Amino acid sequence: MTDKVVEKVAVQTEESRSQSRRAFLKGGAAVAGGVMFTQAASAREIQFDPKRAVAPYAGREEISTVLQDQSARKALGWGVRQYPYGMPSPFEKEVQRRTLEWLTPDSMASITMSPLQSLHGMITPNGLHFERYHGGGININPDEHRLVIHGLVERPLIFTMDDLKRFPSESHVLFAECPANGAMEWKGVQLNSVQWTHGMMSCVEWTGVKLSTLLKEAGIRPEGTWLIPEGADASGMARSVPVELAMDDCMIAYAQNGEALRPENGYPIRLVVPGCEANMWVKHLRRIQVTDKPLQHREETSKYTELMPDGTVQNMSWYMEANSVITYPSPDFKMQGPGRYVAKGIAWSGRGKVDHVDITFDGGRNWTEAKLTSAVLPKAWTRFELEFDWDGSELLMMSRTTDETGYVQPNMPQMREIEGTNNVYHRTAMVTWKIHAHNSEFGGMIENVQF
Amino acid sequence: MFNSKKTLVASAVSGALLMSGVAIAMSDKPAEGAQTGAFVTPDASANPELTGVRGYPENWREIVDAADGRYLDAQVVRTILGDNTRQRLVEKMDPTNPYSFEVHDSIDGGPHGNMQCKVPEAFVDVWERAEANYFNDTDFVAYGYGTPIAEEALAVWSIHVDASGNGLPSNDVGMNVLQGGDMYIQFCAVCHGEFGEGARGYLPLSEGDPLPLVTSDFNDPAPIKTVGNYWPYATTLFDYNRRAMPFWTPNMPAIGDAGYMGITGYILQMNDIPLDDQGTRIEDDDFFNAEMLMQANKYMPNAGNFFCDHRPVIANERCMSDCPDYMVGDGTGDITNYRTAFRLPDGTPQYNVEERIGVDAPGVGHHGH
Ligand code: HEC
Repeated sequence: MTDKVVEKVAVQTEESRSQSRRAFLKGGAAVAGGVMFTQAASAREIQFDPKRAVAPYAGREEISTVLQDQSARKALGWGVRQYPYGMPSPFEKEVQRRTLEWLTPDSMASITMSPLQSLHGMITPNGLHFERYHGGGININPDEHRLVIHGLVERPLIFTMDDLKRFPSESHVLFAECPANGAMEWKGVQLNSVQWTHGMMSCVEWTGVKLSTLLKEAGIRPEGTWLIPEGADASGMARSVPVELAMDDCMIAYAQNGEALRPENGYPIRLVVPGCEANMWVKHLRRIQVTDKPLQHREETSKYTELMPDGTVQNMSWYMEANSVITYPSPDFKMQGPGRYVAKGIAWSGRGKVDHVDITFDGGRNWTEAKLTSAVLPKAWTRFELEFDWDGSELLMMSRTTDETGYVQPNMPQMREIEGTNNVYHRTAMVTWKIHAHNSEFGGMIENVQF
Repeated sequence: MFNSKKTLVASAVSGALLMSGVAIAMSDKPAEGAQTGAFVTPDASANPELTGVRGYPENWREIVDAADGRYLDAQVVRTILGDNTRQRLVEKMDPTNPYSFEVHDSIDGGPHGNMQCKVPEAFVDVWERAEANYFNDTDFVAYGYGTPIAEEALAVWSIHVDASGNGLPSNDVGMNVLQGGDMYIQFCAVCHGEFGEGARGYLPLSEGDPLPLVTSDFNDPAPIKTVGNYWPYATTLFDYNRRAMPFWTPNMPAIGDAGYMGITGYILQMNDIPLDDQGTRIEDDDFFNAEMLMQANKYMPNAGNFFCDHRPVIANERCMSDCPDYMVGDGTGDITNYRTAFRLPDGTPQYNVEERIGVDAPGVGHHGH
């Protein structure tokens, strides 16, 4: 199998050809219309070889039945405002959040996973954002909801939701990831879908007030070194956030992807702690107490702490490490025989931007750099793609990201050696997709395996 | 693998949240001691004592700056911390380590203080942004959009009790442990079992595995972690019970502070938490109150095992071709040694399809099959 990107010879359109001519004539780059010319062609001699370009179609049977109109063409569609709030096409009904009932005894303290295998781009639609409840979902009336900032501050303050929207706002695309994302895979693999292996995360655009603005508004005192944010739901979720993190880039968000937060994601307001465990992003936020001591809440002692093989426990592990996954091909798909494929996936890092994503086809010996195909934003999903030709032999595909701090995503044997197999959280090592050889028993199937 | 004291735990895996209820699928080829070339395999019995200052290069900050602030870069980490990854774990409490989070005892000088983990100095970018947004923002003048509120107005909302004991009710609030046990039976036992053994799939609160929770082998089952063998603080128990339990009707006035105190006493009693160096136990007729809770707080058996985040522990180079064995396959260069998920009854790999046990409708985007 060849893992190197072969020279790209795409099917060209008339338009792209003339574009490239124009680009060349203007002295511009030799890349235009999605076609890369490896050598500069002069304006007159076009080196594009149409025969060679369409070669993969050679010998394929033509469709000759006359195409008939579908019903949509013959009758009017519905009028505007049939759906005052639009929904996805009914044909997309399988694209859903899903849960595994055996994970928790109760659906009110449970989790759903986002269908990463069906998502495109770097934004998760609001209805598909993963859910994590500790005390069930709730609908809060925003007129009755308040946010209080008190404790070690000059002036304790209470804010209505309207008050909060008067402040300067910021919008940032940020991933939110449960630290238990991938937790089922510490001792080997469990299930064949990227929804189960990586779906405890989503990435949306959050809009809100910078937390530092509100804390300065209340006049946080020098001895105030910790923040204890607390939610208004049955769980009264709380965590301890050090003041440096709070003053770095935390926000109090009231909107996601341009509309009000969804109830599942903390309506009317939630804390946003970019790059950090989503458990810290307290939903339905109602109180922030400034203190000089961490709380040591159940969610930062009993849970969300990592048991090491020697019996010690790491806690306050706020940042989500750099991570990546190939979403296509992934176990929800099947290879359609040897030929050209475009591997696609997501990479992210809690410490900043993604610098590189590399893909291996041979279990880690050799790597090829993938192209970043979305905006590259700090602490946000970054899309990557890599074209490859599959000759039908068995592949062991993995993606590995390097973030802007220089941290390189490790493999599972390394992570397991240091952190054991009962660690539960922050399993951020690479996963491996085995592509079964075309002529083998399970030809073309894509299976989740673990070294 | 770590050849430290091997505690094999035979107990059944219980339905603990999101992890231990997980059935583990393995191929018949467990990775025997996956080795990595980059790390010295530790011998836990040879763990040196923590001996204060380690002598990291004093110019560590310059090293970070010279690498354009890439503080997690393999080369930078190695220059500052040295090569031995495992050693870094051992040195996790070292306050001079620029990557370590400062630890500070704040429960009256006790051995298991309320750990003050801080953002490490080496995370230069975080500090710089915090400076700009806050510490150095001398021009800030409030917008005035909020409304002042008195601390007294927050009497009902302020329910948090931190690990130093701030926020606890006064010492006259409490109840005999026996009475606390009765309340526990009434409000909690249905889900957590009369003796905290867990019921109907809900978490157990006692009877965890014996300490230390060393799991040295790949096949060791997940230890059962409960208040007695895992929780570092007793205050957390009072805070959490009052805040979030009983699950369906949390923060119940019918239980009240005194009741939550008694229930907390009963749960600590069932976990055999000592009250002093002599190992004095909590007795049925003890009046359990904030004072006794703070006594127990100093003797939580597992408290000394907690340490602040010390990542990164793995500092790899970005290798592109002909990478060393420890980066390949099972960590020895073998790419045929891997585990697979459960197979379907007919031996085919599971797919996101109906036949998959316990999972709803056929999966999304499923092509072919
Ligand atoms: C309806 C069942 C139910 C009842 C009744 C109940 N709990 Fe719970 N308890 C739960 C669930 C569910 C969780 C996990 C919640 C989560 O993960 O967010 C839990 C978690 C806990 C935990 C944390 C355990 C750990 O290891 O982290 C403690 C402690 C606890 N409950 C104490 C109590 C006490 C005390 C009572 C009685 C006042 C009580 N519970 C009543 C269901 C229940």
